[in-house]
Amino acid sequence: MLQKKVCMLGSFAVGKTSLVRRYVEGIFSETYLTTVGVKIDKKNVQVDGKEVSMVLWDIYGEDDFQKMRWSHLRGASGYLLVADGTRKATLDKALELERRVREEAGAIPFIFVINKCDLLQDWEFDPTQAPELAGKNWSVLRSSAKTGEGVEEAFSLLARKMLG
Amino acid sequence: MGMAPKSSRDPLEFRKPPENLSVPEPEPPPREDDEQLYQELRELILAPEQQALKQLHQRVDDPASRTEDVGSVVAEAIQLRRKQGGDEALSAALTPTIETALRESVRKDPGTLADALFPVMGPAIRRSILETLRSFLESFNQVLDQSLSLKGLQWRIEALRTGRTFTEVALLHSLVFRVEQVFLIHKKTGLPLGHISAPSVAMQDPSLVSGMLSAIQDFVRDSFHTPREQGINRMNVGDLDVWIEQGPYAILACVVRGIAPRDLRDRMAEALENIHRDYSAQLEAFAGDSSPFAKVNQELGRCLGLRYREEAQARGFGFVYATAALIFLLAAGGIVWRAVQYSRWERLVNAFREQPGYVITSFGREGGKFVVRGMRDPLAGDPVAIINSSNVNPSAGVFYWGGYYALDDSMVEQRAVALLVPPTGTKLAVKDGVLEVSGTASASWVKEARAKALLVPGIRSVQFAPELEPVHLAFAEAKAAVEKSVIRFPLDSATLSSSERVSVREVAHNVQALVEAARALDQDISVEVVGHTDSTGAETSNLTLSRQRADRIVRELGQNGVAGRLLRARGVGVAQPLRNENTESDRGFNRSVTFRVTWANP
Repeated sequence: MLQKKVCMLGSFAVGKTSLVRRYVEGIFSETYLTTVGVKIDKKNVQVDGKEVSMVLWDIYGEDDFQKMRWSHLRGASGYLLVADGTRKATLDKALELERRVREEAGAIPFIFVINKCDLLQDWEFDPTQAPELAGKNWSVLRSSAKTGEGVEEAFSLLARKMLG
Repeated sequence: MGMAPKSSRDPLEFRKPPENLSVPEPEPPPREDDEQLYQELRELILAPEQQALKQLHQRVDDPASRTEDVGSVVAEAIQLRRKQGGDEALSAALTPTIETALRESVRKDPGTLADALFPVMGPAIRRSILETLRSFLESFNQVLDQSLSLKGLQWRIEALRTGRTFTEVALLHSLVFRVEQVFLIHKKTGLPLGHISAPSVAMQDPSLVSGMLSAIQDFVRDSFHTPREQGINRMNVGDLDVWIEQGPYAILACVVRGIAPRDLRDRMAEALENIHRDYSAQLEAFAGDSSPFAKVNQELGRCLGLRYREEAQARGFGFVYATAALIFLLAAGGIVWRAVQYSRWERLVNAFREQPGYVITSFGREGGKFVVRGMRDPLAGDPVAIINSSNVNPSAGVFYWGGYYALDDSMVEQRAVALLVPPTGTKLAVKDGVLEVSGTASASWVKEARAKALLVPGIRSVQFAPELEPVHLAFAEAKAAVEKSVIRFPLDSATLSSSERVSVREVAHNVQALVEAARALDQDISVEVVGHTDSTGAETSNLTLSRQRADRIVRELGQNGVAGRLLRARGVGVAQPLRNENTESDRGFNRSVTFRVTWANP
């Protein structure tokens, strides 16, 4: 079976862990996340008849107290870049992270997920209109870890992109 | 010759002159001779090419030739494709065919493939079985050892308290070390390339454990700014140690319970080196497909191992020996106890055998009980009394008795006594089936006994003693009848009353019968007629009176047909009273005459 390392990147509290929790049944305590800086889960998916084991590295988002450990990104076959639609600053952080990933690991497949679409009325930016995203040709999806909307699609799309 | 291909150009075209040259006048149409010449010329010029073309056609159309051509280059073609890096495509193309061929081969003759694989499969299976057995025996010895000790009891309590199995607790306490899991992790991605575990070890998902181990290593490297090629060599978590060996492309991690020896590190290093040597290209190009590492677990298996505490083993063996000795003693004790019990029962059975009226047909153990089967005469001794007199436990045995008539003389004698009921003074004895009857008995009993004796089982003949023969009995009865007669007289008188005369006639009749009975015995008798008086009056007068009374009876008997020569009168006065005279009735009884029979010629 094919295995792929997938990282979850994004600002602090954009909902990365919630998305993973929504997607898989975790077995490790989430205290790992705050101590080591990553929490690992796994999800097997079928992509075009192939079974792919996605090992999800939920990397601690950067905040004022802790920096992201870029070493955890090494060897990743793809990543989900997560932003919070209700916080414009997380979009800026996502842009910065994407640039940083390109510098650190090269151009690897990713999906830009704007989370918390269940709070659409509170969104501070519209990804279709955001000038920061103009001309970037990113794969952008809206998701809600609360309702599950877009979660499966995001991971499936990433898996498909990783397999080329 | 066949026709030339349509696509071939006319050979004459090559013979045309260039256009810029002068063109001669057109020639007249060829004659028949010219056609012939053309044909010959064509054959002359094109024959070799046409021949080659024909052969080529034949070769292409002929399957055998094609097979021959392909067969000569197929091996080189496969090698070339492999050199060009087409392994996967080649495998994908060949796999279905090979799988089908294998299936077909097995279907047609399983023996062929079995024979081919035998040298490989046999040792592998044997090794697997031996390893499993060895592991099982070690575990069993440990559990047996500990379950019999005080410590084993403590561990049992611990197992109850913690919810673990007793085997698990015993294993944890008696282990020096055990390598429980081995992970081969791709260094760059943190993905597992291989993983094995010891039996009965609870496992997490290798992908997650591998990822977390990699993440922890990254965390430590980042935290302490160590170079990439360096990393954690060992981690400790509770009872578990994680030993890590770093390689250029992969890391090897062993999860160890207990304290592992130093040589585990050497084994790990050697295994990792071998893996890097054998899979260097695959490790370098790894992009998530772990199938090239399918066989790497064989190498990882070298790192699995365990060792138990020697002291525990030594003590364990002591306990095992002690247990074995105890079991042996118990078994021996059991055997001795059973032998003693058997001997006691055997003695009881022999006692029954010796007892008249018992026949033992079988004796043995059935369903944990002694079972005695036999036959018993109804008159034989009470079996309960015989059993109680022995020292066996009656509840440990069962008796089945059938009925029969014993032919022992003693049993036959008992049976004869029970049936014939001999009167007092009559003795019965049985010897070799012959009933001997002796003593005194009435003629009627003798008659009845004579009739019934042969009906007694076991009696084949009867012998009566002479005194019980009919003639003797008749004499005895007649004698008794005479001697019991008493003729009574009034006070101070020798006169017979009329009623006494009747009695005298009866006596006379009995005397005549007695004479007849004596004659049957060739004997003569004499009847002494004895006169008595009571104690009143003078002795001399009483003596005279008694003599007068005797004489009176003699005369009376004579008048009733008794020969006088048989009779002898005698008066005894008060010398031989019939009763003690306490009453007038006693005195009246003594005023009498009695009779005593004797042989005339004794």
